[in-house]
Order: sequence, then structure tokens, then C-alpha cells
Amino acid sequence: MKIRTAKYIIREGIFNIYRNIFMTLASVGIITATLIIMGIFLLLVLNLNENTRILKEQPEMEVFCSPELTDMEIYEVRAKISGYELVEKFHMVTREEAFQELVEIFENRQEMLEGYDESIMPVSFIIELKDPTRSDEAISYFKSINGVESVRYSLDAIRFISAVTNWVRVISTILIAILLVVSLFIISNTIKLTVFARRKEINIMKYIGATDWFIRWPFIVEGAIIGFMGSILAFIITGYAYNVIVDRFNRDFVGISSNFIRLVELNRIGFDIIMAFCLVGVAVGAVGSLVSIRRYLRV
Amino acid sequence: MVELKNVYKRYPNGTVALRDINLKISKGEFVFVIGPSGSGKSTLIKLILKEEDATGGEIIVNGFPVSTMSRRQIPYLRRSLGVVFQDFRLLMNKTVYENVAFAMQITEALPKDIRRQVPMALALVGLSKKANAYPGQLSGGEQQRVAMARAIVNNPSLLIADEPTGNLDPETSWEIMRLLNEINQRGTTVLVATHSKSIVDAMRKRVVVLEKGAIVRDQEKGSYENEDKDGKVYY
Ligand SMILES: Nc1ncnc2c1ncn2[C@@H]1O[C@H](COP(=O)(O)OP(=O)(O)OP(=O)(O)O)[C@@H](O)[C@H]1O
Ligand SMILES: [Mg+2]
Repeated sequence: MKIRTAKYIIREGIFNIYRNIFMTLASVGIITATLIIMGIFLLLVLNLNENTRILKEQPEMEVFCSPELTDMEIYEVRAKISGYELVEKFHMVTREEAFQELVEIFENRQEMLEGYDESIMPVSFIIELKDPTRSDEAISYFKSINGVESVRYSLDAIRFISAVTNWVRVISTILIAILLVVSLFIISNTIKLTVFARRKEINIMKYIGATDWFIRWPFIVEGAIIGFMGSILAFIITGYAYNVIVDRFNRDFVGISSNFIRLVELNRIGFDIIMAFCLVGVAVGAVGSLVSIRRYLRV
Repeated sequence: MVELKNVYKRYPNGTVALRDINLKISKGEFVFVIGPSGSGKSTLIKLILKEEDATGGEIIVNGFPVSTMSRRQIPYLRRSLGVVFQDFRLLMNKTVYENVAFAMQITEALPKDIRRQVPMALALVGLSKKANAYPGQLSGGEQQRVAMARAIVNNPSLLIADEPTGNLDPETSWEIMRLLNEINQRGTTVLVATHSKSIVDAMRKRVVVLEKGAIVRDQEKGSYENEDKDGKVYY
């Protein structure tokens, strides 16, 4: 295609958008809504994956003492653990080590730890079992020890998160497929209005020897621009809302050090999300146009 | 230039619009196609433009095997000829100049060629002064001349007109016919379907008469009606 033809096509496409501005806005709206819902699921899956990854890196079983225990009491807990028949190996994590870990997790948000020191952290024991199949038995034994506040067994958590992730995947795939079809339908109706308004022109163009693609392209550009506007809008809304949630969440949950879930920061995944939005938005717009113009090309 | 061999056209509803048409139009000819309403004139033109497909026979136009080629070839067939219709078919939201230029734009012509050829075509049809007017501001005759400028701007070797004067008064019709004649004098083959008896009789061109879908007369320097020896008048 020659540059002057491309210029013509883009000019026509933009002109079409102005021509029925209300339907254009409606289409942008529906694409935005679809993409926001897609974005919610995308973020959900990304976060589930991220937390699964973190969990997998962590020791299988960790026993947390209450933070206020004295050294003497901790010694007693240690003795009960080391004497337990199911324990193969164990390692004690001191308050200092635990706090250092927290500092590493919040590497670029140090202000959140301001005013705290290692005294807020509990001592914990990382335990390797002789027989992982008897983990339930071991967990209830550890919980019965005086001074033990919680036991984290990450295999259970991993299994649970995996199951949730799978369900989220299935549900979101179905929902997004339905939404895509709906937005495809609405956008193709918008373009159909333009096509209908211009059917005489299309007819004339065919008579003077315009190729199908020459006629089609402006409509595809129209659809693609609608899709693009929808993607940008959806990204702004989703991104803003997600940032607010991440801020709240990561602040409120910072104290729960044993089992806490972390949300992925937007700047780490924002690019992927905006790319996904644009790709889907533009594709839906362009395909919607193709569908609506097809029957008017038969002359 | 144009050749039809044993061409049949049967519409899906069963109407047989053309039967066993054999017609050969050579380069530089001026041909009138006449016949009563419903005799198949427009159908003949639609077949040449591949707007409809023949249901039998063979059609060759400007070297294009119209009856056998694929749909994708249609734009190139149509660029090789100019078409003028009774209802002008101009783009109402484009100026006269833009309407004519558009026919070149779709062929991806060079802007410098467009700037040269469009004024030439407008001058030929006598509309240079109206270049910036919109079709809605023009008379029927002027609109038809715009359509003719558009039809010839790509220098087609064949110009086809389906009742180009059908919506025009006799005076204006004559202007259009003179213009068609001039285009023909410059070497373009011209094919005109018409109902205008006075024009056909006055111009003394080749006349092809259709009746109920068949060619009943094909005559050099013909007239609208044919009087045979008994004085009986028929098409
Ligand atoms: N799309 C169509 N479907 C079915 N029948 C058609 C179609 N177009 C034309 N016909 C029929 O084919 C026959 C020839 O029609 P055509 O339009 O070619 O006649 P014409 O000579 O151009 O008439 P007129 O002088 O009134 O323009 C008519 O009987 C008409 O009813
Ligand atoms: Mg007709």
C-alpha cells in the first residue's frame, strides 16, 4: 500500500468516528468494560501465580512462636521440637533474621517499617519432617506446645492456591469469551451504522474500480481506533484502582508476618497489561469492522 | 474490445433477461443499444461490468475474460473502462474536483498525475469553473458531465453509459450526446444504452436492438425504428 493511500484510509477512519460519535462512545464504553473485567481476572491470576511462586520458595513447615516469648520460654519450645520423633532436621530463625527478611521484602518501601525493630518479630523454627505424609499429626503436636502461635505448612497453601487459580482460570476464560462476543457484536453494529450511512458511497466506489481492501481499510481503522481508545481507558481505570488496592493491602497486612499474601506492584506488570489490553481491544475493533462490512462488498 | 459469444442471462427468480447474445464491438466504435423497457439493455451492461454473472456463454472485455475471471479481478476490469449511469452516482459530500480525483485516487495514481489529469477532464466536459462546487449545487446536466469527467479521467479505452440522458431534458441530453461523440472522436470506444429516439436517429451510429433479451437487429448507421419494404414499423 502506498503512503498516500494510507493517509486517505486513516483520514476516512477518523472521520467515521466523528460521524456517529454516540455509537462510538457506546462502543468504547463496552470495550472498556470488557477489558476491565478481563483486567481483574488477569491481575487475579498474576497475583495467584506470584504468591504460589513465593510459597514454593519458602520452607515446607515453619512453626512460629508468640512474639513476646522470653529466651527461656523459647528454649523450652526448642527442646520440645528437637525431642519430637517426626522431626528429621530443624533450624531456628532468630528475631534478627526474621526482621532482616522483612526489610528485604520491603526493599523499596522502607518507610513502612519505620519505628519498628526486630522485637516485633517472632522466633520461628523451620522443620523438615521424617515422613511428610504424617504432617497433620505433626502440625497438631506443634500447635499443642505452649508458646507456639501458629504453624505454616506451605504444601497445603500451595495446593489450595493452585486449586483456586485453576478455577479462576476456567471462570475467567468463559466470562471473557462471552464478553468478547458481546463487544464484538456491539462494535460491529456501530460500524454497521457507518457502513449503512455510506452504502451508496461504497457502491459508487465499487463501480469506479476500488478494491475491496481499499473500501474496507477505513472501517477497520475506525474499529481499531475505537478498540484502542477502549484499551487506554480500561488501563487507566484498572491501573488506578489496582494501585489504590495494592497500597491499602500491603500496608494493612504488613503486621501479619507469618501467612501474609503479597500483591504484585503495578509497575512490574503494567506493561504486560496495557499490551494485552491494546491487543485485545484493537483486534476486537478490527474484527468487528470486518464482520459488519462483508455483505456490502457484494456488488 | 468487447466480445460476447452465445451469452445467456437467467436471473435467480427465473427471468431470462438475455438469450444467445453474440456481439462484437471493435476499438473506436460508437454503439447504441436500444429496445423496449425490460428488453435486457441494463442487464447487458451489468454483465460487461461483471455486476452480474452470465449464466451461459463467454464475455471478453478489454482483454479480461469476464465470464471466467475471479471476483478479485473486478476492480481492475472496471478501472479499464468508464461508466456513466442515469442517476449520476456522484459522492455528494465531495466537490466536483474531488469526485473526479477520487477515481484516480483509488487506483493509487501519483498526486502530480491527479493534479494534471483532473483539470483536463473537467475542461473537456466544460466544468472547469465549477470545480469547487458540490454536486447538490449543480443541474442534472452538469452532474452528468461530472460523472463523465470521472469516467474518462483514467483514460479508459471503453466508455459505457446506461441511459445517460434518462433524467435530462432534450436540450441537455444533446449536450451529453455531443460530449460522448467528442470522447469517441478522441479514440474511446463508446457503448450507450438509450431510449432517446431523436438522438439515435440523428447520430447515425451503429445500432443494436434488443427485444425480449435477444438481438433482433444490428445495423451500421442505423436508426431507432426500422421500416421494411411493406412500411411496417418495428424495432
Ligand atoms: N435483479 C434482477 N432479478 C430478476 N430479474 C431482473 C433483475 N434485473 C432485471 N431483471 C429482469 O430482466 C429483464 C431485463 O431487465 P433490464 O433491466 O436489463 O431491462 P432494460 O432493457 O434495461 O429496461 P429499461 O429500459 O426499463 O431500463 C426484465 O424482465 C427485468 O424484470
Ligand atoms: Mg435499464
